[in-house]
Parts: sequence; structure tokens; C-alpha cells
Amino acid sequence: MNFWERFEKMDRRWVYLMVGITVFIPFLIPMKFPISVSPEARAFFNAVDSLPDSSTVMLVFDYYPSTIAECEPMTIAGARHLFSKNCKIITLSNIPYGGPSMAESITRRIAKEYGKEYGKDFVNLGYKYGYVSVLKGMGVSIESIFPTDNHGTPLSQLPLMNSVKNYEQIKFIFEVADNATADYWVSIVNAGYSVPMGIGCTAVMAPKCYAYVGAKQIVGLLGGMKGAAEYEILLNKPGTAFRGMDIQSLVHFLIIGLVLLGNIGFFITKKGKKKASS
Amino acid sequence: MVRTAIPVIVAFITGAAMTVAFFLNEKTPFVGQISEQLLDWLIIIGGFTLLLGVVSILRVSWQSVQRRREGWVYKIATIVSVLVMAIPSLLPVSWSPLFGRFEGSIYDWLFMNLQSPMMATMFATLAFYIASAAYRAFRARTPEATLLLITATLVMFWRVPIGEALLNHLPGDVPALVNKYVMNGVNLAVQRGIIIGAALGASAMSLRIILGIERTYMGRG
Amino acid sequence: MKSLDVLQVMVQFESKIWRRVPLILTSKTFSAAHKCWLAVFLLVTLFSQPAYCQDEATTFRFDRINALITVIIFSGAVLLFTRWARQGKPLFLRKIPGLEAVEEAVGRATEMGRPVLYIPGIEELDQMETIAGISILGRVAQITAQYETPLMVPVRYPLVLAAGQEVVEQAYIHAGKAEAYDKDMVRYVAGEQFAFTATVNGYMMRERPATNIYMGAFFAESLLLAETGNAAGSIQIAGTGRPEQLPFFVAACDYTLMGEELFAASAYLSHEPIMMGGLKGQDFMKILIIILILTGIILVTFTTGAGETFKSWFQAV
Repeated sequence: MNFWERFEKMDRRWVYLMVGITVFIPFLIPMKFPISVSPEARAFFNAVDSLPDSSTVMLVFDYYPSTIAECEPMTIAGARHLFSKNCKIITLSNIPYGGPSMAESITRRIAKEYGKEYGKDFVNLGYKYGYVSVLKGMGVSIESIFPTDNHGTPLSQLPLMNSVKNYEQIKFIFEVADNATADYWVSIVNAGYSVPMGIGCTAVMAPKCYAYVGAKQIVGLLGGMKGAAEYEILLNKPGTAFRGMDIQSLVHFLIIGLVLLGNIGFFITKKGKKKASS
Repeated sequence: MVRTAIPVIVAFITGAAMTVAFFLNEKTPFVGQISEQLLDWLIIIGGFTLLLGVVSILRVSWQSVQRRREGWVYKIATIVSVLVMAIPSLLPVSWSPLFGRFEGSIYDWLFMNLQSPMMATMFATLAFYIASAAYRAFRARTPEATLLLITATLVMFWRVPIGEALLNHLPGDVPALVNKYVMNGVNLAVQRGIIIGAALGASAMSLRIILGIERTYMGRG
Repeated sequence: MKSLDVLQVMVQFESKIWRRVPLILTSKTFSAAHKCWLAVFLLVTLFSQPAYCQDEATTFRFDRINALITVIIFSGAVLLFTRWARQGKPLFLRKIPGLEAVEEAVGRATEMGRPVLYIPGIEELDQMETIAGISILGRVAQITAQYETPLMVPVRYPLVLAAGQEVVEQAYIHAGKAEAYDKDMVRYVAGEQFAFTATVNGYMMRERPATNIYMGAFFAESLLLAETGNAAGSIQIAGTGRPEQLPFFVAACDYTLMGEELFAASAYLSHEPIMMGGLKGQDFMKILIIILILTGIILVTFTTGAGETFKSWFQAV
């Protein structure tokens, strides 16, 4: 078996090893590649930026801890942007595994930077089972679905919630999701109540969400870690997503290199077999 | 007869009520309230089903331990994990700050320091799997496979900063062309086609279930 | 046309319907399904009667009339083709390679003496994809019962566990192999996505099932499952309605069912005319959508007023 035949039949564990080494390199040698901003991310940023000050916005934590690397930078950047505009933030989650905890820790941490107060400037509604019924129910009354916040405090005791009854008082929905709940927010909330909405999602979901951007059902899209990095650049506060782009760049190059070499090996092997048979 | 008829009748009534309620004002007497009630019932039933799952996993794991089936030691780890996470979180916070679900509790510590990193690790293994899958699958065996290979390579370049910088050296604004014609062109059209097809399929199946034509989900028909 | 005029027309139409109600309900011409829909319509009009006289916020959501028309046409098409199928009219269905391969794949598992792994998706039972997956599970379980092949069905939600156990048990009874049924064939593994995936991957590497069938809703774990199955040497058939997961299944599985093929699978495998009629109704709607898209393209490209009017008919509901 020659080199190309062996390369084509390479054990997948060599590929895993190469990926592992490539991921490790930027930790030793930071590269800081310049990032350009896509039209979809810019539209998202502009939509949030053009909100009147003190608008009430829903910041939705619909992602599992497994996609923290892609989604958390979006929520952090979103919370910073919204607090900098003095927006009132209502956070909630349709994910039982850690959604409310992540919402709590991120909003409290960012709120401290901007001197915001819980109950007046931001509220965490927590989690409720059954996303379809939750989304539909909030269209009638948020209090009917979430009678208390994540800590068990009745909504009537939170000053922010005194002026918010349902979606009519919500000026924008900043949805960050790694699963199909994004589709439900679009088809139920945006379609049924015409609330402007932007989606931040994992890179895998981004191709599907382009359909929503094209149909103007969402104002903008942040796709994966690149989308998060673009938002950080626009906000002028580079964070973990910006640093993660180095790793993503190198791994993409590795995969492209392996694919190209694999195809070269494929054609050389095929040619050799043809010669041998003739 | 009863085992088949009652679920079919319930499916019909609830399905029809929800369909009709979609076209009526929420404040409509009777029908509007039915749909709200059904949505509330769904939330309540969902809570009970969580208990069903916990009971099931404990029962199966305990049976494996009792019968000393292969890997029974790991079943002990499963049972201990379930109990250690569940019991402290159910106890009132007033008894101890270690109880409950909030910051500082045993539940929160285990979730943030054990479960979250494990979940993130599993997701991260996708990077390795995608590399090996791409290496194996992206071969120019046929014209369609070649087209797939070229498109995938372009999108992989476009998606990262240095790749975009390299594409900018080619004549024409290649990144903008990829965004416009690949992502917002071909990709958009295909995604819409699949979404429409899947939605029609789901709607037809829903209609068959509501009308009682499809009963395979009950194990009958 | 003002909303009051529309209301008056509807009241007149409704009174004509009321006069014909006794005849329709007792007639043999209309099927039970038609009578049920009529009953629902009557219930709705009965309880919304007072609102017809108002000119303000009405009971009926006129902004959703386009959706209502779509539902009526769609339901009519499905019921009409179902009726034709019942009457014995031949209905053509193209071959779906993934579904044709199911029986062969189970046969392979039997020959190799290894189990079949079936995953009905990782979503809850209220998702149509999960119901489709459970329906196909029934068919697959019948085949494994006939061939006496071990079957393993890990699930992520308790309701799916209950439905899966019922479906598999009925399949084994139907195949005359009730004694071969084991309740633990369908087992609740874990509620968390990656805990579920890790357990299933571990099972695949230990037991090396000969056939893996993934039918339902999948997310990020789709590639993890498919790649591990590939490494274990299993033949894999996948089907999902999630367009973002299809590329992973296409890359790693031998056969992939895309989108609506998953929902068609139950009807396709059963070969029952009544279910195939529903598929034809779906196809009718797709053709109608294509015609509307082409009409819209022509109107919007070559006209101004007509194109905008046509677009406004399809505003989001």
C-alpha cells in the first residue's frame, strides 16, 4: 500500500489528534485575526441600537450549557448593549437544564457593571414547562404563566413587571437558542403578535435561520461564534467569542487541508487502480 | 374498543378545539377558554411525566444492581447521582443554604461544576467528529459530490476571518458573493423547501391523528 | 368590503347551513369526518353568535382568513384523496430507498446475530416528528418480532417511553410473538441530551448493533450518534424533519429520509390505501404552493399593483 492509499484509509484517531493539537496552538500563540461584520449581524445590532432608551426587552436564554462557547458571548454582549441603553430586561428560559441559572448569573454580573437593580431594571422569570403553551400564554398574560419570578417573588412585587402585562409592552425579543425553540418564537410570537425579534443561534442552526431573515420575520441573525464575535466588535468590547475565532480559523483550515489531501489521494489511487486493471 | 375509542375521541376533541381556537379571538366565550385550559393542563401533565422518568431510571438501575448484570457498578453511580442531585434540591432553603436550587446550593454546585462542563465536553467532541466525517464524506466521486465539496470548502473559508481575508484576494468580492448567492440564495431556497415539505407532512399527519385515521402511535392500525 | 358587509354575508350563509343541518347529519353521502367538521363549525357559530352583530372587535380573526382557507383546502384535499384511496383508486408513490432498506437492514442484523438499535428522536411526544418516529417503530418492531432479532429503543422522555413500550408490545402481539416481548427493550436512558448520547454511544461501541435506525427529531447529537454508529460498523438509516441536521445524517448514514419523507414513512410502510391518500393530499398542496409561488414571481416581477395585492394575501397570520 503506497502513501496515498494509507492516507485515504487513515484511522480517524489520527484526525482527532490533529484537531486536538490545532485547537491548542492559539492558546500558546494568540493570532487575533481581523473580523469583518456580516450584514445580518449588523442589522441585528442596529435594531437593538435603535430601540428607544428604557424600552422593555426580553432576553431569552434558550440554550443548554453544552453550547455555552457559542451562545454565552451573545447573551453577555446583548445584556451589555441593552443595559448601556438603559433598557429594562426580562429574562426567561424554556430550557430546564441551567437556563434560569445562566440567566441569573450573567444578568447579575453585567448589571453590576452598569449599576442596575434587580426588580427595577431587570427580572428573571425562570423556567416553565411546555414552551408552546408558555409562549402562547404570555401573549395573553405573562403573570398567568409566571406568577412569580425565579426566586418565588410574586410579579406584583417587582416594579418592572407592574407596567408589563404581555407582549404588547415588549419592544424587542433578543432570543439566543441552540434548539427548535427559536422556530416557536418566530412562528408563535413574531407571527402572532408582531414583536420585533432577533435570533442568536449556533452555527449549525444558522443556515435555517437565514430563511427567517429573508422573510423579514427576524431583524437580524448572529450565527455561531462568528456572529457573537461580530456583535462584540460592533459593541467595541471583544470577549471570548473574538478570542475563539483564532481556534475556529485554524481548525477550518485543517479540515479543508484534510479534505483536499484526501481527494488528491482518492484520485491518485483511482488512477493507479485503472492503470493496474488495464 | 374502549382502549381505542377513548384516545381517538380525546384526540379529536382537543385537536379540533385548538384548531378552531386559532381562528377566534382569545376572549371568545367557551372555545377561547378551552384552548387556554388545555395549554395549562399540558404544563401540569408535563410536570408529572418528569416523575415518571425518574421512577423508570431508578427501577431499571436497581434491577441491574440486584441481578448483578454487566456494568452494575455504573448503575450504582447512576442511582447515587440521581439521589444526590434530587434530594437536596427538593428540601427547603430555610433548612440550610445548601438545599434548594439557587446559588450556593449543592444542586447548583454540582450543576455548574460537573454537569455543565460534561455537557460542554460532549458538544466539543463534535469538532473531532465533524473533522473525521468531513474527511471521509467529502470525496469528489460524482458531479454532485464535487459540487458539495466546492461549496463546503467555500463556506468554510468564508466563515472564518483569515479565510475571508484569503477570499478577498481573489478577483471580485467573493465573501459577499458567497453570502448573497450561496447562503441567501441556494441555501435559503433549499431550507425553505424542506421546511415547507416537513410542515406539510406534519400537518397531514396531525390531521390524520385528529380525525382518527392514523393510530399507529397508539400501537394500533 | 367592510367588515359589517362580510358579517352580514356570513350570517345569511350561516342561516342557510342551519336549515340544511338535519339533512346533512342523517345523510349517508357524508362521511363521519365530514359530519364531525360540520359539528365543530356549528358549535363555533353557536357560541360566537352575539359577536356577528358587532362592528368592532369580532370573535372571528379576519386577519387569519388566509390560514383558514388554506386549512380548508388542505383538509379537503387530504379527505378527498383518502376517500378515493378507500374506493380502490390506484395511487402512485415514488420509491423511498431508505424505507425500502429497513426490512433488509433488519434481516442483516438477524443474520449477524446482533441487535437493532432504534432511536425515535430526542424530543417530547408532543412533537410530530416523535409521533412519526413512534409510528415507524411499530412497523420496525413487527419485523424484528418476525425475525426474532433483539431490539433496543433508548428514549429521552417518559411519555415517549410509555408510548414506545405500548407500540412495541402491540407489534409483538400482532406478529404472534408476545412471549418474546421484554418491557426493557424500550428504556428511559437520560433526560439530558448529551447524557442520552453518551449512553447510546457506549451501547453502540459495546454491543455493536448491526442496524441503527434514527427516526425523529435530532439536534447536535445527530453527528455524534451517526459517526459512532459508523465506527461500530452498523448500517444506518436516518430520518428527520430538521433541515440543519440533514447534512450530518447524509454524510454519516447509508440512507437518509428528508423532511416529509419521515412523515410519509408510516403510510409508506403500512401500504394502507387510507393512509396513502393523506400523502397524495400533501402532494396536492405542494403543487398548489408551487403554482402560487410561480404566480407571485410573475406578478411581482412584471406588475406593480397586482403583485402587491397578491403579496398581501399571504401576510403572516
